Amino acid sequence: MAGHDLIDGYLATFARRLPADAVDELADGLTETYRRHLATGVDERAAAAGAVAEFGTPDVVIAAFVRQAPGRRVARLLLCWGPAVGLCWGTALVLGHWPVPLAVRLGVGLSLLTVIALLVVAATGLHSYRRTRLAAAAGLGVVGLDGALLVAVALTAPPFTWPLALAVPASLTRLALTARAIPRLLAHS
Amino acid sequence: MKPEAQALKGHLDVLLLATLADGPRHGYAVKEALREGSGGRFDLPTGTVYPALHRLEAAGLISGAWSVADGRRRRSYRLTPAGQRKLVADRANWREFASAITTMLEGSPWPATT
Repeated sequence: MAGHDLIDGYLATFARRLPADAVDELADGLTETYRRHLATGVDERAAAAGAVAEFGTPDVVIAAFVRQAPGRRVARLLLCWGPAVGLCWGTALVLGHWPVPLAVRLGVGLSLLTVIALLVVAATGLHSYRRTRLAAAAGLGVVGLDGALLVAVALTAPPFTWPLALAVPASLTRLALTARAIPRLLAHS
Repeated sequence: MKPEAQALKGHLDVLLLATLADGPRHGYAVKEALREGSGGRFDLPTGTVYPALHRLEAAGLISGAWSVADGRRRRSYRLTPAGQRKLVADRANWREFASAITTMLEGSPWPATT
């Protein structure tokens, strides 16, 4: 890569933990930094050590990438939005007296818990970019759950209640925005 | 990180935009422009400049394009029209803010009260 084992080892750390495009960009910058140090007259080892020190420790650099990762941002938005939408649907189900079979309740409940767990993992921690990629899977789960609820409303035509009137547009909006974000999340995977 | 670098965190976005005012630069050139333009005061860990550029790109304020230089892939950034507008607006806001602070610190006399 940049021409020195120290730099190649440093970049290998990023290659294991960041997207390929980010690593290429870091490699270019690191090579420029290394050459600038060499131009000051120091030997190759000192130039490589200086370039690596100037770039920052892998943990600092990776945390900076994780903070701005699209998956982390989307996961945080969905976690903020989720309780309000969930409250609307929960209230609508109770007030509307929907005859939901136990197996369906369990299936939806387990799916919901799985999605929440994926979102929490994607939204937290600063040491693993890979974790933010789980937001794409969670997003697919959100789209599936919202889609299933909307189809259920369309098929069963439950009686009108205000929570239902709020839940349907909330889920439609979330579904549309999440579906739009998923290709971008997958592109960063 | 130097204390100056810590202090610039809240202003990093506009400073990065300013480094692109004269035309496209790649990440390392942006970092160097920041360091040289501040007389060495704003010397961030180079590796943290790239995520900040990605954030500005996601916000639509800059756009990036790949090229090949010396056999390496290189991503260069330029201001978008939205980025240019933000830079102009932030410069004006900063001038007003700095002027107010300077007036306070360097001391025109306080108006008398009754």
